[in-house]
Amino acid sequence: MKKITNRAVSVLLIAVLIIAGMVVYVLRYVDDGRDWALYFARANSGSTGVMTDRNGALLAAFDATTNAYSDDELTRISCYHVTGDYWGRTGTGALTCFWDEMHDFSLLTGTTRSESVNLWLNIDAELNKVAYQALNGRKGAVLLCDYRTGELLCMVSGPSIDPLDADAEPPEGAYINRCLSAAFTPGSVFKLITAAAAIENIPDIYDRTFYCEGVYEIAGVPIKCSGVHYTQTFEQALANSCNVAFAQIAVMLGQDTMVEYVKKYGFLDSQSLDGIPTAAGSYPQEFVGDPELGWSGIGQSTDLVCPYSMLRFVSAVGNGGKLCEPKLINDGKAAKTVSFMKADTAEQLASMMSYNVAAHYGGESNFPGLKLCAKTGTAELGDGTSHAWFAGFLQDEEHPYAFVVMIEQGGGGLSAAGSLANTLLQAVVRR
Amino acid sequence: MDAFLETSMTASKTVLIILSVTIIVRCIRSMLSERYESEVWAYIRMGREMLPVNHWENIIGRSRGADIRVNEPGVGRVHAVLKRSDRGIWTIYDVFSKGGVWVNGTKVGSRGINLETGDVINLAGTCVRFQDITTEKREKLESARTSAGKRVSPFMTLFELTVFQLFLLLQHAISAHANHLPNIVLGFVLLIILEWTCYNAMRLMSRSGFEAETLAFYLTTLGMSVTASSTPEDMFKQILLTIASVLLFLLCGAWLRNLKRTAMMRDPIAVLALLLLAVNVLASDAVFGARNWLELGGYSFQPSELVKVAYIYVGASTLDRLYRKRNLFGFIAFSAVCVMALALIGDFGMALVFFVSFLVISFMRSGSIATVFLAVTGAGLAGFLAISVKPYIAQRFASWGHVWEDVYGAGFQQTRAMSAAASGGLFGKGAGSGWLKDIFAANTDMVFAVICEEQGLIIAICMVLAVLTLAFFAVRSARHGRSAYYSIAACAAMSMLMVQMGLNVFGSLDILPFTGVTFPFVSRGGSSLLSCWMLLAFVKGADTRRDASFVVRSVRKIEEYHVGYDAETDDYDYDSDGTEEDEP
Repeated sequence: MKKITNRAVSVLLIAVLIIAGMVVYVLRYVDDGRDWALYFARANSGSTGVMTDRNGALLAAFDATTNAYSDDELTRISCYHVTGDYWGRTGTGALTCFWDEMHDFSLLTGTTRSESVNLWLNIDAELNKVAYQALNGRKGAVLLCDYRTGELLCMVSGPSIDPLDADAEPPEGAYINRCLSAAFTPGSVFKLITAAAAIENIPDIYDRTFYCEGVYEIAGVPIKCSGVHYTQTFEQALANSCNVAFAQIAVMLGQDTMVEYVKKYGFLDSQSLDGIPTAAGSYPQEFVGDPELGWSGIGQSTDLVCPYSMLRFVSAVGNGGKLCEPKLINDGKAAKTVSFMKADTAEQLASMMSYNVAAHYGGESNFPGLKLCAKTGTAELGDGTSHAWFAGFLQDEEHPYAFVVMIEQGGGGLSAAGSLANTLLQAVVRR
Repeated sequence: MDAFLETSMTASKTVLIILSVTIIVRCIRSMLSERYESEVWAYIRMGREMLPVNHWENIIGRSRGADIRVNEPGVGRVHAVLKRSDRGIWTIYDVFSKGGVWVNGTKVGSRGINLETGDVINLAGTCVRFQDITTEKREKLESARTSAGKRVSPFMTLFELTVFQLFLLLQHAISAHANHLPNIVLGFVLLIILEWTCYNAMRLMSRSGFEAETLAFYLTTLGMSVTASSTPEDMFKQILLTIASVLLFLLCGAWLRNLKRTAMMRDPIAVLALLLLAVNVLASDAVFGARNWLELGGYSFQPSELVKVAYIYVGASTLDRLYRKRNLFGFIAFSAVCVMALALIGDFGMALVFFVSFLVISFMRSGSIATVFLAVTGAGLAGFLAISVKPYIAQRFASWGHVWEDVYGAGFQQTRAMSAAASGGLFGKGAGSGWLKDIFAANTDMVFAVICEEQGLIIAICMVLAVLTLAFFAVRSARHGRSAYYSIAACAAMSMLMVQMGLNVFGSLDILPFTGVTFPFVSRGGSSLLSCWMLLAFVKGADTRRDASFVVRSVRKIEEYHVGYDAETDDYDYDSDGTEEDEP
């Protein structure tokens, strides 16, 4: 019997394997249970959901058996990066990110059943359509918000797809929301940050003049300017978008101060749009030497800026230094307000940006009827192409809108991005 | 659902979890924590030394693993087997020893010679003297033996199970469609009546061990709950099957009480099992890929489930036979035919269950790791062949671990099982309130997930623990089995149930390939339930705690039958004594 019973213990090997299997399952459940549970939750919980734009236009709706989007094709395509899709192919879509709002999950209680969830967005689908049509198939990002309330009215990323046309081969990069999930070389729009640092750190900045003869050598390295601007004031230098002047200013401020301001304005961090994380930017933080510092001060070098971070900046300038964090969802709660920059700095930047438009961007003829403050950017990519940027706001109590337009390899800032911005702003003030 | 019902649902969920854990803990305490004293049933006097005989079946030999170690020249490693019948008669068998065995000068053949106190046993020249224990000693031994149910009252455990069932019924009453309610209530009430009838029958036989049955009833209850959720119209059919299963369990147990009869019937049962498989291979219809079903009067019936019981019955062996036969050829051939027939039918999950049981039985019988390795290698090759020949098996292996990549195809069932299981959390959605129940095969292949979803992970784990507890109990009891037959049968039966559970649970959760075998006692399917309850009888057969199991004869009772014993044939008229012990 001893022999037999000793061998009986081998049976426990099976038991041990089963216990090990259960441990594996429990660990996987802790790790992935949420994904598993929510995968079929929508179809099986009996709940329904409706997502509308600020005017009540339907963007997406689902119940147990159907996954619907807007009936209008242009709405579907222009709002694709806002809504996302039911498969979660674009990670920052509201359908994906606010899934939690429709079904929640906890390891203890599993899924919580919800009968009906409505998601009311601040987005105006009509504005998105205007912006998407104006992009005209180009790759780019268009953002517009109300800087007094933070309401995000327009967010378009190109190229886009029709979520109903699931089988079609999507254009390259169509799943990326360029407004939130990517950072680009900013070029001259970055001079706004250098200017803000200069206003606060160089006491006699307005008394100084900057001389530009088209090229300027720092330690033997030439910094080329787009033109020859001769003697100019600080204000004129920004309007001229003079590389020579701003490279000098950056060197004058020093790398530490530049890094401090880039950080302070949140360009290096991932921001959060109602919980949707955005891309962080970059700026040279290791010691680079004066020539590179000069380049970085005019938005070249290794500078990268996420369009959403730029929207926060211009929005804060428009709102007198206080930033209303942009809000995608209209949940009735007021936007979080943060003190972004000194009111005085914001005021001076605003007047310089207003001067830009009036003196150099064609004022009333290019932007009829708009009390526009803006800055262009033409970010050289080194291969002859450039990203076109146009960022700013309306200094208008009735139309307190801040915006960022970025067109990838779109050419000149004013000609490409500026005209798109005008189309959008005309639509929003007529609204 | 109004607030009151919602509150009752939440309250009942908590109660169910507390009761589940309590029931499992009570059974574990009762089955696994009681101490077993070492027993001495006789002595072998060797010179001045008195060697104790601790079991009813003992190996005498030079081997370190021998129960009675006689380390003398000429004595074989396994020389002889000394066996006590349940009538208290000792017999010695020569198991092909080189040196031979003589009792009082008579050569012992393969049929063995009965021993009396004082008999001289000659083991290849080494003489020892046999000495039985006295009647007083035997009585003392009997009363000192651990009895079941002393520390943990089986009545209370069963009472808790009943409360568990009533709360489960309450949840179904809240969620079920009014049309099905009478059926569901009837099912649960009959189940409660059945378990208490069974309990009282045990008490009448003055048996006190009811933990194994309680655990089986606990699992059956969860199975009933899944049926009530998924196919409430089958409730009545299911409870009839449960009653039939319990009756078969009692019948099997009663049959197993008599070891001689049990052993005698092994060959006929083997032939019967093979015939059943032959009918299955030739006559059954293909259902869901496997031709494993026979339609029988409205019940679809899986013959291989009954063959499982027969397989254990045939595979287990008494110690003397084990060493007299010396080889496993007959058993290996029988196993090979069974597994091949199942492969022909296309039920590879079941073939795997058989194969693991084969490993357990052959290892317990031979102790040879080499045999096990050989078998595993052979099976591996056969399995490889099966995968390359049968495309749908290959597909299951291909999708294993990648089910989320093909949610509407190969991973259809597993992904839904995992999603539903996770959505239940720890406490569940409440009986009848899940969605997995409406997916095809939810009540068989995916029961673990259905329980996870509706009752929560804690109860689902309790369900697995219930089977594991039975397995640990079988191993623990094996040491004290009255015969190697019962020990091997109990261990093999529990390995079978564990492997089945493992394949079912982990197959549906994508930890193993999906094989579609049933969860013991819980999965719907009549023949599976029948076979599980019948296998449970083997576990009861190994339970030798005092007056615990109805399958084990009470020793005190046996002694009273000493009169009228026919020493020549070592036999009784068994048919006439079956009933007497049933009276208290």
